[in-house]
Amino acid sequence: MRSHGMLIRKIAVRLLSSLAVIFGVVTVTFLLARVVSPDPTNLYVASDADESTRDVVRARLGLDTSIPEQYLTFVGQLARGDLGTSFSTGQPVAEDLLRKLPATLELATYAIVCGALVGIALGIVAAVRQGSLLDRFLRFLTISGLAMPHFWVGLMLIWIFFVTLGTAPGPVGRLPIGTSPPEQISGFLVIDSVLTGRLDTATAAFQQLALPVLTLGIGVFAPIARTVRSTMIYTLGADYIRTAYAMGITPARIYGRYALKNVLLPVLTMLSGAVGFTFSGAVLVEGVFAWPGMGQYALQAVQQPDFPAVQGFVMYAAIVYVVIYFLVDLAYQQADPRVRI
Amino acid sequence: MNVRTIAVGSPSLVAFLRTLCRHRFRGTPTMRLGLVVVGILTLVAVVSLFWTPYDPAATKVGPVYDAPSASHWFGTDRVGADIFSLTMAGTRIDVGITIAAVGIAFVVGTTLGALAGFYGGWVDAVVSRLTEIMQAFPTLLLAMLIVAAVGPGVWNVIIVVAIVGIPDYLRLARAEILSKKTWQFTEAGRMVGNSPVRLLRRHLVPNSVLPLVAYSSINASWVTALVASLGFVGLGIEPGSAEWGAMIARGEDSIVSGEWWIAFFPGLAIFVLAAAFYLIGDGITQKGDGR
Repeated sequence: MRSHGMLIRKIAVRLLSSLAVIFGVVTVTFLLARVVSPDPTNLYVASDADESTRDVVRARLGLDTSIPEQYLTFVGQLARGDLGTSFSTGQPVAEDLLRKLPATLELATYAIVCGALVGIALGIVAAVRQGSLLDRFLRFLTISGLAMPHFWVGLMLIWIFFVTLGTAPGPVGRLPIGTSPPEQISGFLVIDSVLTGRLDTATAAFQQLALPVLTLGIGVFAPIARTVRSTMIYTLGADYIRTAYAMGITPARIYGRYALKNVLLPVLTMLSGAVGFTFSGAVLVEGVFAWPGMGQYALQAVQQPDFPAVQGFVMYAAIVYVVIYFLVDLAYQQADPRVRI
Repeated sequence: MNVRTIAVGSPSLVAFLRTLCRHRFRGTPTMRLGLVVVGILTLVAVVSLFWTPYDPAATKVGPVYDAPSASHWFGTDRVGADIFSLTMAGTRIDVGITIAAVGIAFVVGTTLGALAGFYGGWVDAVVSRLTEIMQAFPTLLLAMLIVAAVGPGVWNVIIVVAIVGIPDYLRLARAEILSKKTWQFTEAGRMVGNSPVRLLRRHLVPNSVLPLVAYSSINASWVTALVASLGFVGLGIEPGSAEWGAMIARGEDSIVSGEWWIAFFPGLAIFVLAAAFYLIGDGITQKGDGR
C-alpha cells in the first residue's frame, strides 16, 4: 500500500513537466513566428508602402523592439493570462479563441462519438468473423479511411451529397446563410435550438453538421476499428476465453463482457489521438466546410501571418494534448493495476 | 565459429537486410499488392520525365473544363491543361518528397533514439524533452509554421516533413534499444570486447530495426497526406505546380459548379499511394509478429 504523499508528489512532478512542455511549445512557436517570411505589416498597409509607414505599424503591433525584448513582454503577458491582441481581428486572442471553441467542440464531439461507436462495433464484428467477406470489406474500409486525405474526403462528400444528390446543404458553416443562431446556452447549436424551442433551426444546424461529422468521423473510425479488430483477435485466443467457452458462457457475453474489457484500453489510446486530431488537427476540414472553428482560425492566422493568434492557438492545442495524455494515464491506472504510479 | 558470431546471431545491417529481403518480402498478398503499386507509381514518375500525353505545364491543350473523355482521360481544368498529364507529373513530386522525407526521418530518428536509449543520462534527457515538446504541437500546424519560416521549395518541404516525423522514430528506436540493452547477447557482445559504438552499430540497431521498418512504411502513408496538405493550403511547393495537394486546391472551387474531376483524380492518386505504403507496413508487421 502506497502513501498518499507519494501519489501527490508524482502528480506534482507530472504537472510541472506538463507546464514545461507547454512553455517549450510556446517558446518554439514564438521563435518560428518571428522568422516567418511574409511581413505582418502587409495586413495593414498597401504592398508598395514605404518603410517609414511600415515602422509606424510595427511600433503599434509591438514588433519594433529586439526579439529578446519582445519575448520578455510576451512571457510577461502570458503570466498574467493575456494572450495578446490578434493582428487581424483586433480582438484579444483569448476572446477570439473562446468564441471559436463551441463550433469545434460541437463538430468534434459528434465525430468522436459516432466514429468510436461504429469503430468499436465493426472492429468486434470483424474479429469474431475473421476472414469472412465482411471482415475483408471492413479491412478495405479502414485502410481507405486511413489513406484518404481528410480534406479530399470532405470535398468528395460535398460533391456527392450536395452537388449531385442534393441531400445535404452547401458548405457554408454551422447554419444556412440568413439563419440567426439561437441564444447561446451550451454552445452546441443543435442543443441550444431545441432548448429555445426553435426546432427548424435545430434541423438546419443538424444538416449542416452531417458532412463535416462524416468526414472527421471516418478519420476517427478507421484507426479505432483496426485496433479493436487486432486486439480482439489476440484476446479471443487467450486461455481465459477458452475457459469461459468451456464453462458454457454464451459467445455474446464473452465478446461483450470478458473480451471487450481488454480491448478498451488500446481504444483509449486511439481515442486520445482522435481527440487531439478533432480538437486541433482538423484545420483543413474546417476550412473545406467553412466551419467557423479553431482550425479555420489557425489556418488563417498562419497564412496572414497573425503572430499572437498563432501563438494562442498552438498553446491551446498543447494544453489539450497535455491534459488528454494525463487523463489517459490516469484511466490506464484505474483500468490496469499493473501500471499504477 | 567463434564466440562473437554465436553470441550475436545477426552479424551486420547488410546481412540483416538481405535476410529481410529473402524471407519476409514474400509477405502477404496485400503486401505484394502494395509493393507492386509503389513500383508502378515510381515507374510513372520516371516515365513522366520523358513522356506525358500533353505538356503538363501547357494551357489550352484542350477545351476548358472538359469532362473526362478519350482524348483527356482525367479531363481538363480552368485553363485547359490536361489533368492526366498533371497527375503523372505530380507523381515524381509527391512520391519523391515522401520517400526522401521518410528516409531522412528514419535515419536521423533511429540514430538519435539509439544513442538516447544506449547512453541514457543527459543525452536521453535532452532528446526526450525535445521530443515531448514536438509531440505536443499539432503536426500540420508545426509543419506549416516551419515552411512559412524557411520559405517554399521542394527541399524545404522534404526537410520540414522529415523534422516533424523524427520524434516517432526516435521514441521507437529508444524503446527498442532500452529493452535490448540488458539482454544476454548484448552482455556477451560487450564481454568479448566490442566497443560501445560497434555494439550499437552492428548488434543492437540491426536487431531492433524491423519494427522501425514496419513503422516507416505506415508513416509514409501518413507523410503522403501531410505533403498534400501543405500543397493544399498553398505552403511549400511553388504555386501552380503539379503537386497533388495543390492540384486539389485548384479544383476546390469547381466542385460546387460540378467539375469534380479536377480535384478527384489527384486525390485518388494520393489515396492509392498512401494505401500502398500502408499495406506494405501492415504486411511487415504481420510477418514480424511471427518471428
